[in-house]
Amino acid sequence: MNTPTDDKGLEEGAKALFDESVARLDAATLSKLNQGRQAAIAELVDETPARQWIRWMPATGVVAAAVVAIVVMQGPAEVDVPIASDSTMTDFEILIGEDALEMIEELEFYSWIDLADLESTDNVG
Amino acid sequence: MNACAGVFAVSCSREQTTGAQTLQRERQLNEFLAEVERRALRIAEIAVRDRDEALDLVQNAMLKLARNYGKRPSEEWTPLFYRILQNGIRDWHRRQFVRNKVMVIFGRGSRAEPDYDPIAAAPDPGGRTPDETLQTQQAIEKLEQALAALPTRQREAFMLRMFEGLNVAATATAMTCSQGSVKTHYSRAVHALREALGEHW
Repeated sequence: MNTPTDDKGLEEGAKALFDESVARLDAATLSKLNQGRQAAIAELVDETPARQWIRWMPATGVVAAAVVAIVVMQGPAEVDVPIASDSTMTDFEILIGEDALEMIEELEFYSWIDLADLESTDNVG
Repeated sequence: MNACAGVFAVSCSREQTTGAQTLQRERQLNEFLAEVERRALRIAEIAVRDRDEALDLVQNAMLKLARNYGKRPSEEWTPLFYRILQNGIRDWHRRQFVRNKVMVIFGRGSRAEPDYDPIAAAPDPGGRTPDETLQTQQAIEKLEQALAALPTRQREAFMLRMFEGLNVAATATAMTCSQGSVKTHYSRAVHALREALGEHW
């Protein structure tokens, strides 16, 4: 069982060694840390409105691209579709009417009537 | 004319105030970073076992702190800085994990700890006998190995509490967890280190 005193000794020993290793950092490493710090401070100084706007540019670009994509994708739906004319609708109604099938079955009979009408007209004339 | 001069004077006064505030902020940030950067570097180095990687992580944390929290009260900087750093370290470990898995898939095996030699990396401190230097360096190495063997959260809690001297609340903020978790992680870390280093301490 470790006593709190043991733990305190361990903590103090670890801290002392850590501080020792911090104190031993070489000049090249310290120089790199200094450069990093200066870059960070420059970041703070450069926080101008123009820079803030620049930061939003990627997001703005993405939104604009999304809007363009949506417009392009919805475009074909707006292409004019030929609207059925009245005559077409009338033909369609005839075709789907109840008598339509009978008329098709007796097509030869109706052709004969048409011919007979024409001949009688010619004879009269 | 007088009105124009008055507006100009007010404008100049505002700019001077803003400039003075920026300068003061800059000075405060410089002092803060200069205060923490060395310990932060060593903490990162112990966590990732690579000095160059640790330098990148610390520099990145400094940039993010300045960019995102530079305007926050300076009292908040310490836990925020260490939160950014610890997040960076965790991301680094995730990337390494994925990288190692990919390397294993392609048959190159994992990069084992390897080329890192604290003794070789340490500078010549001077003013000590070679024996003393070697003993201290060996103790540091043992400590670092024991810390590296700890679970991540325990290592974070121990290093932030002990090496950086953060209190429980600030450590909890840095680790993004509750104060109770910090105490638990810290206690377990001390016991694990006691077992690992018992013969040396």
